[in-house]
Order: sequence, then structure tokens, then C-alpha cells
Amino acid sequence: MNMERLLLGVEALAFLEENGLPVLKSSLARNENEAVSQASKMGFPVALKISSPDVVHKTETGGVMVALKDEGEVRWAFKEIVDVFTADFPAKRLDGVMVQELGKGFELIVGTRKDPQFGPVLMFGLGGIFAEAMKDVAFRLVPIESRDAKEMIEELKGYAALKNPRKGTIDLPTIEKFLMQISKFLEKHAEIQEMDLNPVFVASKDIGVCDARIRLG
Amino acid sequence: MYRKLKEVFSPQSVAVVGASNSFDKLGYHVMKSLVQGNYKGQIFPVNPKGETVWGMRSYTSLKETPDGVDLAVIAVPASHVSEILHQCGQKRVKGVVLITAGFREIEDVKGEVLEKEIGKIAEQYELPIIGPNTFGFINLTFGVNASFTPEFSLLKKGGVALISQSGGICHLCGFMAIKQRMGVSKLMSLGNRLNVGFPEVLKHLVEDDEATRVIALYIEGLDEPRGLLDAAASLRGRKPIIAYKGGKSEKGDSASRFHTGSLAGDYKIWKGALSQVGILEVTSSEEFVDTAKVFDACPPIKGPNVAVLSGQAGPGLIASDAVEQAGLKLARFAPGTQERINRILPPIAIRTNPVDMGPTWYNSKNIIDILEAALEDEGTHGIIFLAVFASANVNLAKEMEEYMKGAGPFEKPVVACFNAPPGIWDNEIIGMDAGKGFAILPTPERAAKAMGNLWRANLAGRFKI
Repeated sequence: MNMERLLLGVEALAFLEENGLPVLKSSLARNENEAVSQASKMGFPVALKISSPDVVHKTETGGVMVALKDEGEVRWAFKEIVDVFTADFPAKRLDGVMVQELGKGFELIVGTRKDPQFGPVLMFGLGGIFAEAMKDVAFRLVPIESRDAKEMIEELKGYAALKNPRKGTIDLPTIEKFLMQISKFLEKHAEIQEMDLNPVFVASKDIGVCDARIRLG
Repeated sequence: MYRKLKEVFSPQSVAVVGASNSFDKLGYHVMKSLVQGNYKGQIFPVNPKGETVWGMRSYTSLKETPDGVDLAVIAVPASHVSEILHQCGQKRVKGVVLITAGFREIEDVKGEVLEKEIGKIAEQYELPIIGPNTFGFINLTFGVNASFTPEFSLLKKGGVALISQSGGICHLCGFMAIKQRMGVSKLMSLGNRLNVGFPEVLKHLVEDDEATRVIALYIEGLDEPRGLLDAAASLRGRKPIIAYKGGKSEKGDSASRFHTGSLAGDYKIWKGALSQVGILEVTSSEEFVDTAKVFDACPPIKGPNVAVLSGQAGPGLIASDAVEQAGLKLARFAPGTQERINRILPPIAIRTNPVDMGPTWYNSKNIIDILEAALEDEGTHGIIFLAVFASANVNLAKEMEEYMKGAGPFEKPVVACFNAPPGIWDNEIIGMDAGKGFAILPTPERAAKAMGNLWRANLAGRFKI
């Protein structure tokens, strides 16, 4: 039996949350009314994202709308996302639409995988162009100690931007604590083959995973 | 296994299997290394013809040599190796240097098979084997050159153990070390690492080798890097370990597993892992040798603040640039220190830090007074001292050397450059270098980088202070 499984979106976030990791408040809405009631409970603004087991990169399918300020915008966005998706990808399955509190602050990425030589490794970097264009990421072997978490942050080329962000503040120990949590989480769950937490938002002392892909095996 | 290495590296007697009078045989060069390296133990050449080798009686086989052979250096074709290893085991030889190549490093699958076979023999007799596919080792502390490169006996005895996965890098850096007067305890290539690899040698160097103060590793790639990393982690803080990692090119396949596929791969993991276990990574052969030399010769640096004292303004300036790039800062002298310097130097040059000693460069006593002021300055943790030759200051090096005889050892690292045309200052540089906390490097930039590495090592807890 093949035990390999890919957790995406709401399911992946729920798995993280069950294990005590901070995630942005998220829930799955199957219709407009559910979306509106969930959004009101979370508090506006919110983001809506397509939720399909067949979609790994949501932005590429036009399935993400952010900064929705009120009920009317949520209704409109829900309809728009579902209509566009069913028109463009009639063959793909649709679970519904994820309603999520809006991420604020700086974008980080955290990745893990099992390297054939080194075993479980943890990657940390700044999100967006920092990671993709500048390859500004740091690796450590799992498990890490708090000293390693601190050094991972400090060795990034973008460290200065983290230390002195253009707006707001970032509490670096919050990021260190988060990396330590991830390391412990990986030690506890040997079935995790690969994780991509991208982005993770950090603002002052608030940190939360916005989107995740987790491969179990 | 590692406990056995102490005797292997300090053999009372060495058998050279494949000893030869023919220049085109590696056994010739091993004999030359032992003989010309003034090895004080007994040498037993083994040669099937039984002829006189290097003026010594030879034995037709290892079996016939007297009992109590500590080390066997084997330089015969691969097909003969298994038989000779059995003989080593039966004779209770304590260890082997297996120079012979043609094992798992070759494309032909026969090499792999043969290596497995000798692995079993080694296991049967619990025989430590350096190699196969190595040029051997030199232990300068004990005085034995068990390699096919006699010239390594020219290395200066000191505290750096240079351990390499590659023989070529040992030669490259070993010759640089001779030219730069780096003090070496041991130098070796591990070759295919049959049963003596980085973890075993690291433990030996930290636990059983008092002469080694600094460990310098050249690493290419390991199937199981965690062995080395775990050993280093368990020894963290005991002796500084420096590593130069070859083979950094990014492997697309492993990188692409992350995210969009554009992130870096294996080397990034190595980099992180080395840092994680307290190994200081360097990124060029110059930095490798410079850093090892300074770590051996100088005390640890206790803070990031450096004084740059230069006989000429320009070298002082580029050193100051390099100081900041290396993660250090220019020290701000205490008022008392500044007054001492101001009394010596007229206000026509920069007297704060960097100190332009130009106006007094012909006066060695003044130069030494400035050095002493900086050494005694509380806020200064290390000193970069630069002297470029000019006809008018020709006596500086001689007088510095005289001063050094009575001075020190310094409690702060002093990294110096003495740059002169060939033939001038050569002997003085040799006289002053790498003693008493004072090390001479080729350029101001390299001096700053090595000083910066002292500080990096301190930050990461690689030194005990």
C-alpha cells in the first residue's frame, strides 16, 4: 500500500495547528453563506483562496483574492473564484474556498526535506524575491538548537531588512522560537517527507503559517 | 579504532612493502622520504628480489621481517594487496598506509570488489588502514615522513594538522605551508577512507594528539557526512576546526525539490551543517592556510576591535577596508593610548586608527613604541601591523626581530605583513614569524581576513578563552 499523501491548504494548516504550530485562522467554505459567516467570525479583512486537491499553485489558477473588506466583497469574490475555476478547469475537483485572516508583515519561507546524505534538513529564508531570485536561504540539520535558529536568521543576506523592516517591527526571537518548534515537530513526525511553508507571515511578535504543502510517506 | 591511531602515527619501525631503487616506483620515493626525513626508527625495506635498497638490506617478503613492525607502508600493485594485508595481520602490524590505487575510485567495478575484499581483511585483523589511494602521512611531531613526497619533511613543526580527502590539495596547501612557514603537526590524505575516515582522525587529533592545536580539513563529498559532523559536534570547543569544502556547484535535482526549484542545493546544506557543529568554513586555499597558521601562532581574539598600524598610509587604508569586511571594527584608542601615539607622531598624518606611522618609519624604536601602546590599549583586541620596505627603513625588520626576541608572548593576536623585494628581510621574517602570538601573512587583506576568522571562531565558541 502506498502511504504517500500530500496535504494542501486547509488540511495542511489544520495538521500544523493540531501540533501547536501557529497558523493564520483558516476554514473551508462550501458556499457563499458559509464564507460570509466564517469571515465575519474571523473579522475583516480576509482572503479567499481556491481549495482543490488538484491545485498546488493557487495563484497560477487565479484562485486567490485578498484584502476583502466586507460581506459584499466576500460574496463577490467567492462567486468569482468558483466561476473562473470551473470555467477554466472543468476537469479539476473543487472542495470549496478557503477563508483566511489576512497575513500581515514580513513574508518568510520555511522548508524541510529528507536529504539522501544528510537526513532531515531545515531551510529558512525570506519570502518572495529574496528566496527565489537571490537564493537567500540558510540550511541546518534537524534537530536544531536555539543557537542554530539565531544563526540561520543572522546569516541571511536579508538579515538587515529583517532587523530594520521598512514598516513595523519584527521580533527575531519569535522567528527563532518558530524554527525550534518546526524542528521538534519534525522529530516527532518522522512520516513527514517534505514541507513547504510559504509564506509564513511575521509582524512584531505575531507569526503564522499562511500556506503549506506537506508530503507524508 | 581511533585509539589505535596514536601508535600508527608514531611508529618505532616501518616496513616499506614495494621498496625500490627505481625512481619510477613509488616505493623508491617512500624510502627517500623516510631516509632523508631523518626517521629515527627502524626501516625494513621489503622487495621481492631481496636486493640492497637505499643502502639497506631488504627482505623478500613481509613475513621475513623481524617481529614488532609498527607500520607497513604498502606501494605494490592492487592485485597483491590482499595477500600483504593478511601478512600484516598475522605479524600484528599496528597499522597500514596503503598507497596503492585502483580500488573503488576507479570506474571498473573490479576496484569496488577489491576494496570490499580488503575491507574484510582489515576487519578480520582490526587493522587500521590509511588509504587506499593516498600519498601517505607526515607526522612532524614524531619525526616520520611515511609518504611518497620527501619534500614534506621541509615543513616547519607546529600545531596545525592538515587532513585532506585529496592528495592534490595536501600537496597544494602543504607547499604553500612550507613557503608561508606554517607550523604543522600532521599532514595526510585519507584517500578512499577504508576504515580511517574523518571521524576517527578528528577524535585522534583532539583526544590523543597534544601537539595539534588547530585542525584543518579539506572535504570533497561524503556518503555519510553525519559521521564527521557528529564527531565534530561532540568535540566542539576543544580545538578549533577549519574546513575548506570542495565541490560547491549546485545540484539542480536536490535544489528543485524546494518550492519553485530555484533554490540552492547540497552545498548550502554543507555550509549550514558545518556552522551548526562549530566548524569554521573557509573558501579558498589561501584563506585555508592563512587561517590555520594564525590560529596556531596567535592567541584567540577576545573582541572585534582591531588596531591597524602601518608604515605607509595606503596599505593601512586597504587593511582598514578589509577589517570591516571581515566583520571586525577599527578600535577607538583610549585617551592615554592616543596621547602616547601623539607624542611619537607629528600631527601631519592620521594618528587615530589606522595609524599612519609614515613620519617615523625610519625610526624602529618609535615604531615599536607605537606597537606597544596598541598592545596595552584596553579596547584593542588585535593588531594588524604593516611594514613595506623602502631603502630608508631597511633596518626596521632587523630591529623588530631583535625586539621580538625579548618581547611577548603577546596576549593579543598580532598579524603582520613585511613586504620587501626578494633577498631583503627574508631571514628577519623567518626569525620573527609564527611565534609569541605574532604571525606574518603575505598581504594586508589576507591579514585582516585571518584576523576576522579568529573572531568568527570566538563567536561560535570554537575557542576556549
